[in-house]
Parts: sequence; C-alpha cells; structure tokens
Amino acid sequence: MTTEIIYSAVGEAIRTEAERVLADGTVAAVVGYTMARRKGSAQPVVLTKPEEANQLIFSAACVNNLAVYLTKAKKELPREGRIGIVVKSCDLKALVGLLGESQLKRDSLYIIGVPCVGVLGSTLQPSVELNAETVADKCRECDDRMPQGADFVPTVALPASPALEKKYAVEIARLEAMTPAERWSYWQEQFSKCIKCYACRQVCPFCFCEQCLCDRNKPQMVEGTPRPAGNLAWHLVRAMHLAGRCAGCAECERVCPMDIPLNLLNRKMSRELKELFHSEAGFEVREKGPLAEYNEQDDQSFIK
Amino acid sequence: MRKQLSSEHLTALLQALIAAGTRVVGPRRVAGILLYEPLITPDELVLDELPRRSVKEAFFPVCEDLLAYEKQGQQLTLQDVDPASFPQTVLVGVRPCDAAAIPVLDAVFSWDYKDQFFLERRARTTIISLACTSADDACFCTAVGLAPDEPRGADLMLTPLEDGGYLAESHSEKGEALLEAHAGLFSEPGAVQPLPLAQPQTLSFDLKKIKAWLDEHFEDESWDGIATRCVGCGSCAFVCPACHCFDIVDEGSEKSGKRRKFWDACGFWKFTHHASGHNPRDFQPKRYRNRIMHKFKYYDDKFGQTLCTGCGRCVRLCPVGIDIAGVLEEIEKKANE
Repeated sequence: MTTEIIYSAVGEAIRTEAERVLADGTVAAVVGYTMARRKGSAQPVVLTKPEEANQLIFSAACVNNLAVYLTKAKKELPREGRIGIVVKSCDLKALVGLLGESQLKRDSLYIIGVPCVGVLGSTLQPSVELNAETVADKCRECDDRMPQGADFVPTVALPASPALEKKYAVEIARLEAMTPAERWSYWQEQFSKCIKCYACRQVCPFCFCEQCLCDRNKPQMVEGTPRPAGNLAWHLVRAMHLAGRCAGCAECERVCPMDIPLNLLNRKMSRELKELFHSEAGFEVREKGPLAEYNEQDDQSFIK
Repeated sequence: MRKQLSSEHLTALLQALIAAGTRVVGPRRVAGILLYEPLITPDELVLDELPRRSVKEAFFPVCEDLLAYEKQGQQLTLQDVDPASFPQTVLVGVRPCDAAAIPVLDAVFSWDYKDQFFLERRARTTIISLACTSADDACFCTAVGLAPDEPRGADLMLTPLEDGGYLAESHSEKGEALLEAHAGLFSEPGAVQPLPLAQPQTLSFDLKKIKAWLDEHFEDESWDGIATRCVGCGSCAFVCPACHCFDIVDEGSEKSGKRRKFWDACGFWKFTHHASGHNPRDFQPKRYRNRIMHKFKYYDDKFGQTLCTGCGRCVRLCPVGIDIAGVLEEIEKKANE
C-alpha cells in the first residue's frame, strides 16, 4: 500500500472517531491536523464541535507534535473536560513524559494514535512526495510505528519498514571522531546562525516553564542577545534541560529556521544517558528521570 | 539609464568592488543555509535561491552594539559606536521582495527619531537587485501590489536575459553612479530577450477592503480560530524583510559591558510584558492579531503602505503552518460577507 492510501484510511478513521467522541461528550475538544492553503500542507487545529470533525486529516505533512498544546505554557486550549489528541508514536512519547512529570493526567486525555509510516523532514515545500529522500531523519530510526497504549488506533496494516540509513547515528559517529577543537568549531558555526527566535523552545513539549530562565532579566541568567556567548549558553541550557526527558520528536530541529541540527544534540544526550543510566525517555510513565534521581548503583567512574 | 552586463562582467564588477575595499554583500551559503553575507570572492555568490533571512540585516543587524561602558573606581567611561565607521557597501542579488521592504524600513527609522545606526548604513549602501525568475506557492508579491521585477528599493536592477547576462537599469543616483564608475563593464543593450519572470500564484488581495475590515474588527472571535495554533516564537518576524521591532539591553558586569540592540518579535509573550507583571496581550491570538494589524492596518494608517512584500518566508517557515496569505484570504472573505 502506498503512503497516500494508508494515510487516507487513517484520516477517515480519525474523522469518524473524533466525531463520535465530540458528539457523545467523551471529550470537550480534539487537537488534530487540518489542511492549510498550500498544496499538500497541514496545520494544527483545535475542534470543539462534532460537525467540525470532517476538517481533520492525516498526511506526511502532519509533522507537528501536538502534545505541545496540552502543556501549561500554552493557555489557548479549553481547560475543562477531557481533550482528544492525535498523536504519532514519537509524539506519544512526549505525552508519556508529561504524564510522568505530573503535567497531564491520563484520564483527562483521549489519545487517538496514528499508525505511521513517516512524515516529511521539512515542510518548506509541503507538496513533495514522502520517500527515502524526504522522510524526516527521526523516522529513519523509528522502530515503533504503532502507538502503544492509545485509546483509539485505526486498524490499518503497515508494510514492513524499509531499511534506511540512520542519519543521526552516522552524524554522531562523525562528530565523535572529531578532535574536541574540531567539534567545538562545528557547533560554534552552527550556533552562530541562531537568531534567538526560540522556535525550538516554543514547539518543545518539555519546554513548559511559564517563564523560561533565559527570558529572565532580574537577574539575567543567560545573555539574551543573539551573539556567540548567549547563543552557546541558550543551546547548552536547552540540551541539558532536555537530557533524559526528550524522546526525540525532533520538532526543535524541524522548526529551526536556521537549520541548526538541534536533535543531534538531543540524540547524543539520549545515547549518553542510555549508556550511563540504562534509561530511555518516553517508554514508561515515571516521576523522575535519570538526572533527577540519585541511585548508589549509578556509574561513578567520573569521580577521580 | 539602461545597460547590458554579461555574467563575466558581473563577476568582474564585484571583483573590482572588493579589490577597491568596498564591502560586497550577497547571497552566500553559510553552514548549510543561504544568507546575505559579505563575499570574499565573487564566486561565492548564489543567485538561484531566495536567502533564508531577508536583506534587512544589512541595515538592521540581528544584534549590534550601541555603546560600551567601563567603570574604574568612581570614573565611568562611555564609548559610543561611531556610525561614520560603517563601511561603504554594495548589496548584490537582492530579491525584489527584499529590496521593496527597504523603503518600508526607511520610513520607520527616519520618522520621529532618526536612527543613525540604520540611516548611516543605509546612506553608505548601494543596492543591486535581481528580478525573480522562479516562485513557489508561498510567494505572493503580486498579491500585495509588487512584482517579480519590482524596482522599488533598488538602485540598480538586473534582469536575467535568455542568452545569459543581464539587463541593468538604474533607478536612483546611486545606481547611475555605479554604472558610470564601472562604465567599461557595461554595454549598450542590444535586441535582448529577458528570461520569463516568475509567476507567483494568482492570489490577489484587496488590501483596502482587508484594512477596512481590520479597522472594525479588533475584537473578533475569528482571531482565536486563526491563532490558537500560534506557539509564540519569533520565526515569522525574524525572517520577515519588513518586521523591524527591536529590544535594547545592557549586557556585561558592573565594571564593564555593552548596550546592545537586537531583534524582537510581537509573537513573544515577553514583548508586551509590563514591569508590573501585567500583560495586555496575555493570550497568543492577541499577539498574532497584532502581527496582522501592524502589517495591514497600523503601518498603513501611519505611512500609507503595507508592511508585507509577499516574500513568503513566514509561510514556509512557520513551525505550525500559519500561512499569512491564507489568513488574508480568510479576512477578505469575511470583508465580503
């Protein structure tokens, strides 16, 4: 089956289910995707009436992690009643993390899972076909295409995953092979492009602080200007704050208007934590991540 | 003045300018993306793609120092940045949608307060624009009254020709001066055929009608529908050739530091956050409404034009797919109801 046929069946099932749960009062609103003006484009939408459910779609351009709309940093969604949300399995991992951090309650969610064969890496041109060239890098490493533990998942059979080169793994290996000076100059060049638009922060489900430390000016903890010092500080704060929490939806990287490979940092951190603490984010609801918990069995080899 | 310039002579022109110590800025690839950046050699120039950020940073940098301070004992020394030290610059390969935004910025930065940092750079810069021969479905310059060969803002405009090279037309004294100073490189135009211009999609907006609707609908429930999805980043404003809000901050220590001016955006929660803690735009749709109001009403009220040139950057780069052309279409539909 082609991607279009799979996603058209998924879209149909989502519309029917959303209409049902809005009509019978299971949910007060559904957060999903709808078409936008450009050919092939999609955008997030919040629906509250059953007759609006026919606006919902699913396609390879449905790239957003909608979990961000459920966080306390976003105040635009209705706060009363259960919320239905359309998630791919990578997005679901963010919900699992937010449940663990007591940001959401499971019984206030109605999770509509999407059987997923991948989404576009870039939506600069949303009408391009999904193929081995255009698929998002995160999808190349995905081994979890059917969301687990959702309230509803359309019954659509997925073809076997094609074997695609794991670009993050390759890129991390390339950077690890560099000397520290080379690596430093690589990241300096990447961060020099940063214009502090904070798109990476605003789309991140785990950046739910109502006031970001980096926005504070009394005292100013991090230089806010888009200059080398402030850029480096921001990206290090971001990477460290997400370590052990980021489950790899890669939204930060997709939305960066300056193409800074932000998820590469996240994946590297995630790999370190897996090696050091045998911990991977997004699989189970747990209150404390590896960096928030003290365990005598933890690796202490760094203490010399 | 109308001349012809071969591709080789464009390279020679840039080479001559660089050799003479002029700062030449044009689309150049930096760490994977195309930006308007100073060229070290003419072959770095990339002319077949719209740069990721607009040309506004040539006059209004992402971040710039305004002054430096140093305190020794009770003695405080202030060191001003001297705008007269800004280099003579030639911008080359500027897209018409970027060039047309420059007069829009001129109006703001020379209105009540004369911003020397902007104006001194502006005075020292000659703009060579390039007519556009390709567009995608995010481009909508024609819908806001401009065109792929719009000369507004350009001192000299290059139009690509079928047989290679360019037609070069001056649109200001600076443009003429550039033609005259390098007269040997330009020839009289023969019977030349310009390449077909880009065909941005057939959208067309009635900006007057849209403004009339905005005049009456500061409070309207449709803002929620349009902008609940907005996540409040600055991506749209920062890639916009016409957005010009900035913040000023002192950075450093008690002993020494700098006062800096840097880009700000009305999508940020912090943008209207008062010292009292009150925020008059406490809800994202109110912030997005300001973006539309400023571009299609407030700026027009004050300066009689629109604060959008249809470059489509915000459309392509919005993290949540907000399409300003789609929003304008929706508003025009409401205005027609």
